[in-house]
Amino acid sequence: MPPLNHTEQEGSRIEIEDQIVRITARLVAPFIQLYGIYVIVNGHLSPGGGFSGGAIFGSSLVLVAISFNLEAGAKQISHQTASLLESGGALGFALTGLAAIFLGGNYLANRAAGFPLGQAGEFFSAGAIWIITVFIGIKVASTITTLFYNIIEKEQAVGDIKRTDT
Amino acid sequence: MSFILIAFLIFLALFLRFMLGVEVRSIFTYYLLGLIIYLFSFTVAEMPLFGAIDSPAFNEVPRRYLESGVTETGALNIVSSIINDYRAFDTLGEATVLFAAIAAVIATLKSH
Repeated sequence: MPPLNHTEQEGSRIEIEDQIVRITARLVAPFIQLYGIYVIVNGHLSPGGGFSGGAIFGSSLVLVAISFNLEAGAKQISHQTASLLESGGALGFALTGLAAIFLGGNYLANRAAGFPLGQAGEFFSAGAIWIITVFIGIKVASTITTLFYNIIEKEQAVGDIKRTDT
Repeated sequence: MSFILIAFLIFLALFLRFMLGVEVRSIFTYYLLGLIIYLFSFTVAEMPLFGAIDSPAFNEVPRRYLESGVTETGALNIVSSIINDYRAFDTLGEATVLFAAIAAVIATLKSH
């Protein structure tokens, strides 16, 4: 027996038919994404950083997916893109550390490797910290999205099997 | 003082066993629980207060971060300068943990 507010369409596609949830999610999602990007790129100046900003950005994508359906969510970011970003974030982080070696410092060195620090307090400052923060943000956002999609699609596949059995 | 306490505990145990008929095993359990609670509360009472100047955690390492973190890393956010510059290798391990977690989830779900 499906829960309330859920209707079954075309077999197993479960989606929420609620105008309030849909319109609210559609209105709020861009602002959440903008705030997530703000938290990521200002990680060296204000509270926040890659992990928290990435979590905010990823949860906005999850919000769109659960308030509409999975296809609308997959339109925002495809699985292939999410997987590529997920691996690319970690790779970029590691390559930033390697770049520090080629610039003449230790692994993941910042000032010793000669990254331009700039004036403290300005947006373009802190050298490698800003780059690393952006890479972590990309990685965390795509990790949350990929985890959600993998689990929810597995859930739907299991639901299909159960419905065909009965 | 501790002798009086131990004598009191022994007499209490004898009283509970022979006057009230409590089993030996449950008396032992109560005593063990009391000992654990005493040790835990003593440990908490001995901990330094929040923000105390003589806290062992406030040594030369956070002093270095607070005094020269901005000039050494260029970031106003001290937390960001620690996790992304001073302890960047630890953060790389954290990103690796995330990567391993999602790889395990995908491998488990797609294998069925």
